[in-house]
Amino acid sequence: MAEDVVVAGVGMHPFGRHSGRSLKDLARVAGLRALLDAGIGPQGVQMVYSSNAMAGMLQGQEMVRGQTVLREIGIEGVPVVNVENACAGGSTAFAQAVMAIRSGAADVVLAIGFEKMFVADRSRTLDALESAADLDVVAGLGIQFTAVYGMRLRARLADGSIARQDLADVAVKSHANGVRNPYAQHRVQVTAAQVLESRAIADPLTLLMCSSICDGAAAVVLARGGALPQPGRPTVRVLASASTSGFTLDPAGGPSGATLCAQRAYEQAGAGPGDVDVAEVHDAMAPAELLYAEQLGFCPPGDGARFFRSGATALDGRLPINPSGGLASRGHPVGATGLAQLAELTWQLRGEAGERQVHRPRIALAQNSGGWLEGESAAVNVHLLERTQRWT
Amino acid sequence: MDLADALDRAPTGERPRFDLAAGALVGGRCADCGATAWPARAVCHRCGGADVRLGTFARAGTLVSCTLVMVPRPGLEAPYMLGQVRLDDGPVVFGQIIGLDDAEAVPCPVTVQVSADRYWFTPAGLQEPTGERQDETRVSSDETGG
Repeated sequence: MAEDVVVAGVGMHPFGRHSGRSLKDLARVAGLRALLDAGIGPQGVQMVYSSNAMAGMLQGQEMVRGQTVLREIGIEGVPVVNVENACAGGSTAFAQAVMAIRSGAADVVLAIGFEKMFVADRSRTLDALESAADLDVVAGLGIQFTAVYGMRLRARLADGSIARQDLADVAVKSHANGVRNPYAQHRVQVTAAQVLESRAIADPLTLLMCSSICDGAAAVVLARGGALPQPGRPTVRVLASASTSGFTLDPAGGPSGATLCAQRAYEQAGAGPGDVDVAEVHDAMAPAELLYAEQLGFCPPGDGARFFRSGATALDGRLPINPSGGLASRGHPVGATGLAQLAELTWQLRGEAGERQVHRPRIALAQNSGGWLEGESAAVNVHLLERTQRWT
Repeated sequence: MDLADALDRAPTGERPRFDLAAGALVGGRCADCGATAWPARAVCHRCGGADVRLGTFARAGTLVSCTLVMVPRPGLEAPYMLGQVRLDDGPVVFGQIIGLDDAEAVPCPVTVQVSADRYWFTPAGLQEPTGERQDETRVSSDETGG
């Protein structure tokens, strides 16, 4: 790698329902926590990539969203790039920040994501979510994200490689991790029976398997290696950053966008899926974790359920997945999610993840997908992070 | 055919999407590589060529997966069924499935149905539809997001 890029600071505003708080309030808390964690002030930020998906439709702030929230925390007069990539906007901001530092354009860059999905009229939020697809093609069909994941999973139930019980058990695991995460939206332990008995949303998905409407923010300070010395703290560096947009499905089949990005990321890092110690994957519906375990190469195709049943993906397993609770339990404020994943993995690699800390991880993978282009996500980013110091 | 020819392609709003006489979808087929897309695009997504020709796809396809959606959307009463269909000589498309009683039968053959401005699928062999569509009812929304 030409230039080391490190994660110098991370911060979040707790995910959940925050009716009395504005986008500025959410972004203020996440942004300031990331700056404090990095040991810098607002004037230390040289460039910003700001992610938000829905404030145009939901708050009416169609333009310059980043600038409007950043001046609340004293960041102005620097390049601010507003990023929108549906549910993958946060990791897209991160990927751009990595490129900015590698290019030499800046040494210290803030990636920040914020979203406020709770509004008075819920149908507006659903309308906004539906616009993460090509409306010219699919408007009026009633394609909701729950249905998209329902179709992906239904085919696997049909071929017998995933059982309904697995879907419920993954949601139980997701909630169990969320309980341990002070930033999580849903911090309630549930049983498999409760999951299966909860309201049907889109067969085979039930309410307790699905992420929900959420408010929240997350931020990451990235820096050129050495630009912000942090003696006494483990260094987390960016090993790989791979992105793709969606593509038209080949009727004959082929690899997913997540698989293509993961392959590129592994290649960049000179590593493979067997080297990953902890992962945050895009489980907008908890059982999606089973599919992504396969697509990211953690287990052979078709083996996602078996891999999960082995306990490998539990907090104490050999490859814990979504220790934060994932999108389904931590919450999924669309434009902030990708950065929340990267914040979680940074805490995990540093050993600062509290009750949900996994055992001494060295390499972490984040996969964040957004939007839908009739079968494939419209945007995918996969990042690999590495702890450079040995655990002692 | 030159890429510049795509500059003069008909506006998207003027490209046909349905062949009412044939009861089928009309999309694009690349004359160079054969890749198909619905609706038709100006440039081929697979080879980058501009010799994309309008064509009528087969009515027959395979329902690859489906889901019964329990959350209503404006204009759609719940439950409604959505499915992923691989057309026999065309692309993968998504749409409503009407008249499929046994979702456990998937994958199964389906037939595309079209009206002036919509399309949907019915199980193969089912009687031709009456053309009746779901009521246009504005309904309340749900807390589940994406």
